Order: sequence, then C-alpha cells, then structure tokens
Amino acid sequence: MSLPGLDLTQTTADQDFVAAPPTQISLTKGSEWRFEVAFGTVIRVKLLAGTAELFGTELAPSQTYTFSGTKGAIYTWNGCTLEVGAGDASPAVDGLAPGGVNGTKTRGFGAGGCQSEYTAEETPMVEYANIHFALETLRQEAKATGKDGPRVLILGPENAGKTSVSKILTAYATKMERQPIVVNLDPNEGMLSVPGTLTATAFRTMIDVEDGWGSSPMSGPSAVPVKLPLVYFYPMQNPLEAEGSVYRSIISRLALSVMGRMAEDEEARETGIIVDTPGILSQSKAGALETINHIVTEFSITTILVTGSERLYSLMMRNYDNKPTSSASAVASDERITVVKLSKSGGCVDRDAAFMKSVRESQIRTYFFGNPIPSTASAALSLSVSSTTNVTLSPHAQQLDFNSLSVYNYTIASLEEDEDEYDPSQFGASDAFLPGGSTDAETSTTQQQEESARVTPLPGIASTIESATPGAAANVPLKKLTPPAPSALANTLLAITHASPTASPAEVRDASIMGFLYVADVDNEKGKIRILAPVGGRVPPRAIVWGKKWPDEVVGLVG
Amino acid sequence: MSSGLASDEVAEDYKNSLEDLTTNDRFQISNLTVIAKENTEHAMAISRVLENHIRTTPPAHKLPALYVVDSIVKNVGTPYTLFLGRNMYQTFMNAYTLVDSQTRRKLDEMLKTWKEPVPGSLDTRPVFPPEITRSIESALIKARTAALQQQQARSQQDVLTRGRVGTPPGWTNSPTPPQNIVRYPSSANSTPPMPYHRNGSGFPSADPRPAPAPQIQQQDVDLSALNRDLEALITAARSDFASNPLDPSVQQRLKALLDLQGILQRQELTQEQLKLVRNQVSALAPKPVITVPQALQSTLPTVSTPTMTIPPAQAISQPLQQLLNPGTLAELIKTTAARQQPTPPPQAQNSLPQAPTSSATPQPAIPSAPENQLIAALRARGILPPSSAPPMAPATPSSNLNPAFPFLVPGQVRFTPPVPTPQATNMPNVQVTVQMNTASIKIPRLALIATLYESRPNRCGTCGRRFSTTEEGKEKKARHLDWHFRTNQRMAEAAKRAQNRSWYVDERDWIKSREVGDDEGLVDTETSGEGAIGGDGGSSKKGPPKQWIRAPNEATLRNIPCPICQEKFESTWSEDVQDWIWQDAVTVGNRVYHASCYAEVTKDGPTPARRETPSGRTGTPDSVLGKRKAEGVDSPGQNVRVKMEPV
Repeated sequence: MSLPGLDLTQTTADQDFVAAPPTQISLTKGSEWRFEVAFGTVIRVKLLAGTAELFGTELAPSQTYTFSGTKGAIYTWNGCTLEVGAGDASPAVDGLAPGGVNGTKTRGFGAGGCQSEYTAEETPMVEYANIHFALETLRQEAKATGKDGPRVLILGPENAGKTSVSKILTAYATKMERQPIVVNLDPNEGMLSVPGTLTATAFRTMIDVEDGWGSSPMSGPSAVPVKLPLVYFYPMQNPLEAEGSVYRSIISRLALSVMGRMAEDEEARETGIIVDTPGILSQSKAGALETINHIVTEFSITTILVTGSERLYSLMMRNYDNKPTSSASAVASDERITVVKLSKSGGCVDRDAAFMKSVRESQIRTYFFGNPIPSTASAALSLSVSSTTNVTLSPHAQQLDFNSLSVYNYTIASLEEDEDEYDPSQFGASDAFLPGGSTDAETSTTQQQEESARVTPLPGIASTIESATPGAAANVPLKKLTPPAPSALANTLLAITHASPTASPAEVRDASIMGFLYVADVDNEKGKIRILAPVGGRVPPRAIVWGKKWPDEVVGLVG
Repeated sequence: MSSGLASDEVAEDYKNSLEDLTTNDRFQISNLTVIAKENTEHAMAISRVLENHIRTTPPAHKLPALYVVDSIVKNVGTPYTLFLGRNMYQTFMNAYTLVDSQTRRKLDEMLKTWKEPVPGSLDTRPVFPPEITRSIESALIKARTAALQQQQARSQQDVLTRGRVGTPPGWTNSPTPPQNIVRYPSSANSTPPMPYHRNGSGFPSADPRPAPAPQIQQQDVDLSALNRDLEALITAARSDFASNPLDPSVQQRLKALLDLQGILQRQELTQEQLKLVRNQVSALAPKPVITVPQALQSTLPTVSTPTMTIPPAQAISQPLQQLLNPGTLAELIKTTAARQQPTPPPQAQNSLPQAPTSSATPQPAIPSAPENQLIAALRARGILPPSSAPPMAPATPSSNLNPAFPFLVPGQVRFTPPVPTPQATNMPNVQVTVQMNTASIKIPRLALIATLYESRPNRCGTCGRRFSTTEEGKEKKARHLDWHFRTNQRMAEAAKRAQNRSWYVDERDWIKSREVGDDEGLVDTETSGEGAIGGDGGSSKKGPPKQWIRAPNEATLRNIPCPICQEKFESTWSEDVQDWIWQDAVTVGNRVYHASCYAEVTKDGPTPARRETPSGRTGTPDSVLGKRKAEGVDSPGQNVRVKMEPV
C-alpha cells in the first residue's frame, strides 16, 4: 500500500537528531534566558548554581525540568548557571500536529534543540516585581484595616505578555504566602482547564514550572499540588459574540462566586484578585470597552495594568484613573482605581495560529490523558519529584444514547461562519432537491421531510424550551439539540454543567462546569454517540453545553 | 438551462461553476446538484468534469467537490452513480491521501453514508454499489492497519495505553530522506558502520556488537513492521545508488539490504534472529531508536567518572555504597562503556563537578534495563545476586531515600545561596511600601527582591520552595518535606492504578473550599488532600458503599462459585459502570466471595480488620465522585447489613 499521504515511514528531522551534549548557560544578574520549544521536542533544564525563576516561580537547584511545546523565559535576580540538554523526542505528542502543522522542522538548532533561545539583558522584571511589592503594600494595608485586598486587571493586546505578568504576580504572591484568586477570562487558552473556559482559582501553592499553571484535581496524588478551579464554559473564541451578552453574563456569575469566596476566605480577601483577559478586549473592537467596563465593575477592580498599548493606556487613564471603585465600601473608604502602564517584555513573541492550535489541543489532551510529556523522559534520568509531574490519566470511553442527554448549543451566527454547511450525513434535513416530489412513490416521504424541515430550521436544532420560561430566557441564544445527533458533534467537546437537565437556558448558560466529554463518534442510525469521559461511571444527568465552534475540533483523541 | 446544448458546453459551464466552489457551501452545492439533475443527458460529461476537478483542485477544495458528488448521487442517482462509480476508487483515494486528517474524518463519514440507501428513499439499494464502497473501504482499512502496526512496533507503552490510534504520528511525513542513513551511523557509532555490509550475506548474527537496545528486545518482533522498515531503507539505498552508481559502498549496501529482505521473505529466521535483524534495521533507519543512544548517553556521563559519585553515595545507604565501590564500579563501567559507545562528550564531564546530586539520580536508571551489560557484569562479579530480583533491589532503596532523607543529599545544601544579609533575615515582617504608579515601578528595589530570596534561605531541594530560618519556618519546612515524602509514596502506589481527572466542583463547594498548602499538618492534608477540597458536597448523595466487582472476562473464572455458599455469581449489567458486574461480591485474596456470605463468616473474626487497606490509600483524594472497585471498603464491620439495593 503506497498512498502518498498515508505514508507510514517515520522520518522527521528530529528523530534522527543525535542528542547534543548539554550546554551550560550563564546568566548575569537581572538577565533572562528565553527559549522556544516546539511541540514534539523536549528539552531539559537544570539549575546548576545561583537562583532562577520561570515566570516568578523559582526553580529548585539540581532538579531537571522538562519543557515541550512552550515559549518561556528563565530570569535570574542574582545570576545563575543553567544546564540545557535535549530530552527524548516524544512520539506521543507528535500526533498533535496532524497534517504536518508543525512540519518536520520541530527540533531547532538551539541548545537542547530549542527552536530559538538567547539571553536577554533587558527585561521589565523590575517593573513587574515592583508591581508585586506595590500590591503587597496594599495587601498589608488590607490586612491592617480589614479592607479587601487589591483586585488587579491586566489588559493588553494579544501576545503582549498578559498571562506571563499574571503568572509572575501570582507566583510572587504565593511565595510571600499569600493566596490570590486568579481569574482567567481568555477563552483562547485555558487555565487549569481546556480552552473555552473562564475560570477562577485560588493559588496558595506553587505554580507548576513545567506545565502552564499546573493541574486540576485528579483521582491520584500529584507532585506539584493540584489547584482547584471553578470553571465556566464559554464555547466561542471571541468574547464579543452576540454583543458580548453571553460573555458578560458568565463573567457576572463568575465574579459573584469570587466575591462569595472573598467574603468567606480571609486569606483570599487580603490577597485580592488577579484577572487575566483576552487580547481582543484591548483592540478597538465594538463592545470591547463595554466589556472592560463590565469586568471592572463586576470585580470591583482597583488596579488596571496595561501592557503593550499606549492607546489603551491613555483610554484607561481617562476612563478609570482615580475614579472610585465599584466595591460596596468604596465610598466609605475612598478606594480609587489606579491605572498603571507596564512595559512589554522584549521576549514577547507572536504565537502563530498553528502553535496556538497545538497549545489548545495539548490542553484538551492533558485534560483527559494527563501530562503529555512521556514519563520515560524524566523518570529515566532523575528522581526529581518536580519533573515527574507527568501523571498518565485514563479516561473512560463509552457509548451514550443521544436521546437521553440534554445538549444545548449556542445559536449565535458568527459573522465569518456559515451555518449552512453541506453535511452528507444530514441528508434529507433540507428538502430542496429530493428526487421525490416528482414521483408519486416518494411523495409521502417527501412530505415527512418537509414537515420535519419546517420544524427544524437548522439540522439538529429543534424547538427551544424558551416557551417554558418566556420573558427571562428570551434573550439567551441557547437551544436544546434534538435528535438526530448532528454529525458535527464528532471531535468536539461537550461541557457537563452543574445545572439540571430541565433548567432554563439562562441557568444553563450561567452554570459552572463539572467537566468535559469528548465526542469520538456519532452514530446517527442508532442515535448513539461514543464519548470519552474523564471519570468512569455514568455521565452525570446534567444539562450539557456543546462546544460546537470552540474549542476547535481535536481529531483522533480516541482511536 | 435545458437540453439541446452540446455536451462540452455544459461541461465547460459546469467546470467553471465547480471552480468557484471553494468552501462547504450548501447553497452552491445544491445549485450544482440541480444543474446536474437538469442535464442528465450530459451526465457522462459532467461526471468527467467532476472527476477531473476533484483530481486537480487543491486539497482544501476537494471536500466540497466530493460533497457535490455526494449530493448528486443521492439526489439524482442514476445515471450519475454509474458514471461516477466507475472511477470512484481512484477519485476517492486520490483525494483521501492528500487531505488533512480532519477532512479524512469527514470523508469517512461520507463513505459510510454511501453504503446505505438514500435516506427517505424507497429504494433499498445503497447509494453506490457495494463493490465500489467495499474496495475503497478495504484500502482504507489496510492503510489504517498498517499505521497501527507501525505504531505498535514503535510501541511506547504510553502511546498504546492512550490509544492514540487515530492520528499516528508522522502520518504525513515524507519518506526517508536518503542522506540520513549515511549520516546516522557514522555520527552515532564509532565502529565502522553496518558490519554486515562486509560479508554481504546480510545475515547479522555474525555481528560482534552487542544488541543495542534492551527495551526493544523485550517486544515481540513485528514482521510486517520490520519489512516496512526494510522497504524504506531499500528505497533510500536505491535512490542513493541512482545518484551515485559508482560508489561501491552504496552498491554493497543495496545488495545487502536486498539479500536481507530475501531472507526475511523466505521466513527462515527464528525469533531471536529476527530480533537481531530488527535491531540492525532500526539502527540503520533514522527511526525511533534514538532512545538508545540517548539512554546510553544519559547513563554514561555519571558512571564514567565514578569518583564523583562517591561522596553522595556514602551518605545514602549501605547497599548503594557497596554498589558504588569505586574500584569495581569504575572498572566495570569502563569496560561496558568502551564496548557500547564512544567516550562521553567532554562537556558533560565538565558539568559534573557542579552537579553532584545528579549522581544519585541515574542509579536506578541503570538497573532498570534488565539486559544491560552493566548489570550482567555486576552479576558476574557477584555484586548483584544472580536471580531476577536485582533490577528492583537497588532501585527501591534509592528512590525511597531521596525524599525520605532530603537533607542527606549534599547538593541541596551546597546550593543554598551564600549567607543571608543580616538586615534581610527578618524581612517577612518588614513593611513594604511601594507606590502603585507608572513612575514608581521603574525604580529598582533590590532590597525588596531579597524578601523573595535571601530572607528565606531555607530551601526545599525538591521543589525550590523557600522557608525562613525562624522556628516557624523550620517547622513548616519539616511539614512540607513530610508532604513530599507522603506524596511520593502515594504516587508510587498510585502508579499501579489507573487515575483519572476528577470532576470540577460546583460554585458552592468552591466558595466553601479552602486551599490547603503543602506545609500544613498531617491531619489537614489527609482529610482534604490536594484537591479533594470540598469533595462533591451536596451534589451527590452516596448510600452506604455497595459491594460489587466487575465480572471477570474469562469463562472459567466466571463459573467458580462462591466458596462459602457454593452458588454461582450472577452477572448484571450496570449502567453506572458501563460493564457487567457481580453484585454483592468481594474479592479476598484471589477468591471471590459473596460479600454477604463473607461478612457472615468473618463477622466475629479479627482477621479482616488487619487486612484493611494499606496506609497510603486513605489520603487518596478521589472522593470527587470517585468510584472505585469495592476492595477499599470491604471492612465487614461496616457492612454487616449488606442488603443491596439494585444499582
């Protein structure tokens, strides 16, 4: 069998790469080593001497840390020596790039196989640290006076280092034994969850050095303490869909929970909140400012950090600087908003669409299967606990009766997307070109088709339950899917909410999420779908929201 | 549009419209279908146009075009099914090979619908005659099986358990570039490449080199994968030969490969010989074998400079110390190293003195490869007992030791930053005052940075967390190290079980939950672990634990009755578990009892209490809807009243 595209010989450039001996990198005080590692390539980094931190989280000496599919920077305040070597190429994650997204040139020629790596002398770390100490000042004040700690909002365009700043601030805060609540409002990239989620998490323990923010709870133990996120599902890439109505109402709900936690959790109250946002809010899009305002109000933001955009900074200065915050006690305590401009780090690099897609796929994979770095990579070389964070998880595959689920779908017609796609398995949902209608024999079936077509304006979507709760739900663009299961379900995620299957659309929209199912297959005939669930046993009978457009499809998660 | 036009005009028109079809647009597709329907007399021409279009259009546009075909054959049917069916195999496979895997999925789905009658039609015949779809399907299955085998051959256990069958890595990779083959051996081996070139027979048992990859030896030899690898090598060698026909080494190489293939095809080789062949082939192929040189390299730098490894080893433990006795070890290692690999890269050696802890690290890696020469040599010297036990023996003490005696590993102490400046020591209580404004944050404040570092000089060697030198800090660190120790123990234990992601908590539980640090006392951590915080609260009401086990798959096991009442177990289907289970059953030792029988019998006996679950189990935070097999809750004391409700 020699089909060109199905060729099975395994010869990527990185696989015949002979591991170079580890290189040593010496960093002077206040410099940082920036590196980019492609997916499918693994590098190991070891701190030989001095102190070093990755986005604020300190590296342990002589421990081997492995990195794959990431772009990061290791900074040192006091100078340090790093040893960088190549790890095993990980075949397990090669599959992340179907269609050769990453091409064959995954392993670069930098130290340890980095695609790019260099040492930078100029960093905005002094600024970031000072922000932390300024926040610390406010926290001490909050502790002394019983006020709430600072609520920080980080704004800036895509790839301006927003998430890095929030990581640094979080890491420093936990280092000072604080417990910030970190809120991620960017549906492009998940925090402790899959993309398409808005989350809030109290950080008390160290952020995982190797794996983004760390991991959410699993059935077993984990070397880096797991973090417990509160998760909401926003299955769209753009927060401004439907004039931002869905996004904003989820934010309101999320803010409510966070405020509830602040009210009860003394440590969280003193430390305050750090809010990371999607870059699109900082581009002058219609509705973006309203959404920013919504966030500022809902979280009673006290500090707005703007990075990478002068324009936005001046706008924020004009709109918010020295204005009273929205917190209930603002009037009494004269709490005012501060707007601060942060320098964008020279290390910020554009992450292209293909890379971001791999990041998202990897996040989804990690949700179901655990850390993608193969355990052999670090287990063979070291006993280091911090580099054996790779826990392999075993999700459960099972068949579900589609009729027994109550799946909701957002019906916002995105501008660039065409709902009217031709779908071979949905044949008959549109009655336009049936051979019937002309011959008597088929008239009856045609009529049936027409009838069903009248009821179902779009394939798979039928009567909403809006009628049950008129008024309130009228504006929620959430509709229940009725059988047959649309074949577009395949390869997408379903979010199990905490709402009951009979809840109103508004309740479903605002409900937090229990977890995700991955749809491997749709069997229209039997009305069954084959799914992958993180936890075994019966899928909880809750309302389910379909991530039809977001996060993007992941093909072949299940064989 | 009506009849009367010449076929080629219609075809030309159709072609133009097809070229406009670049996306999956239902309207356009419908339109094209209507045109096809109205011009059935030109069906042949239109079919040709479609086929040509699908063949020539860029991959991204193939799917919509195929959807036009789909729409036409379903809506119009004959004569299009006839005309299009003729070349459907080529059309489909040609497209399939060129598109990305996402589109392939879609094509698969479409193909599935072709095997069935047109929905809503009275005609019960499938869309295309079964011969057509069958030939396509079998071709696809063949390709997939080959992919699967390929993957299994590479069998990283990891890959298998995760079942990533859908997208074999490298699915779209181009075939072996020939130059790799030449380059690889010469750079990785100091021995002259490919011994069997010289004898020309291609029979590798004469190969003096030791089999390079212990991991690979453990697998069974997959003949088809081997053949494929060989095929690839031959192709590469051929192209080498074509470009360089006068080079005798290339000639020889090609001949050797062809001979080898002949031998394989005659299937005269035993399993052992096959292994050798495969090792050779994989050494030649620039394929997944990189693990081999890497594994060797990783062990070598440390072992080849044994004097370095002594100081930490002495601190560690008796058996290890023996093992690391400088004289024997150095000698052994030198001999094995010399045979296996060129001398380690000099940089690695230089780095060693600065990283003494690494010496403790790779030790278990060596025994973990059972066929390793080092082990064999150790055994020969009587350092290791000759039984099969040794691979585990040295590994266990050291892996437990590291977390248990973190203070004893010298590297951790050595790297703590020099001496804390006196004024910084009590920094945690120092008032920090930094103004939050754009100007203020530009001023470097190194004294404050010290609060992040030097003021907490007491570092955890495992995760780098810092503690102050005060009494409180020391206590915290002790608890923190405890936490590491316990976590490590539990991770070792958990590795034996399947683990899974827990459900996320709901809002109420999240608000009520409190983060538990890794420096809290034992009790706290035990109850809330790292993440079971809040559990699943009110979201599920669990009854008393019911005892059940999954019904065994083997028929013989299924027929063994309960030893107490001598009745057989009844399998029932559990919706919850999605599997056949035995209600009221419990495994004790390797026998299965009715839980009620067992409880009845052991009610008064003290034995089962001692049989209680091992300590590590208790803290496992799987309470979040975690449902495990009942073995953990089989203390009969709680379950005397076993009267099961049906699940």
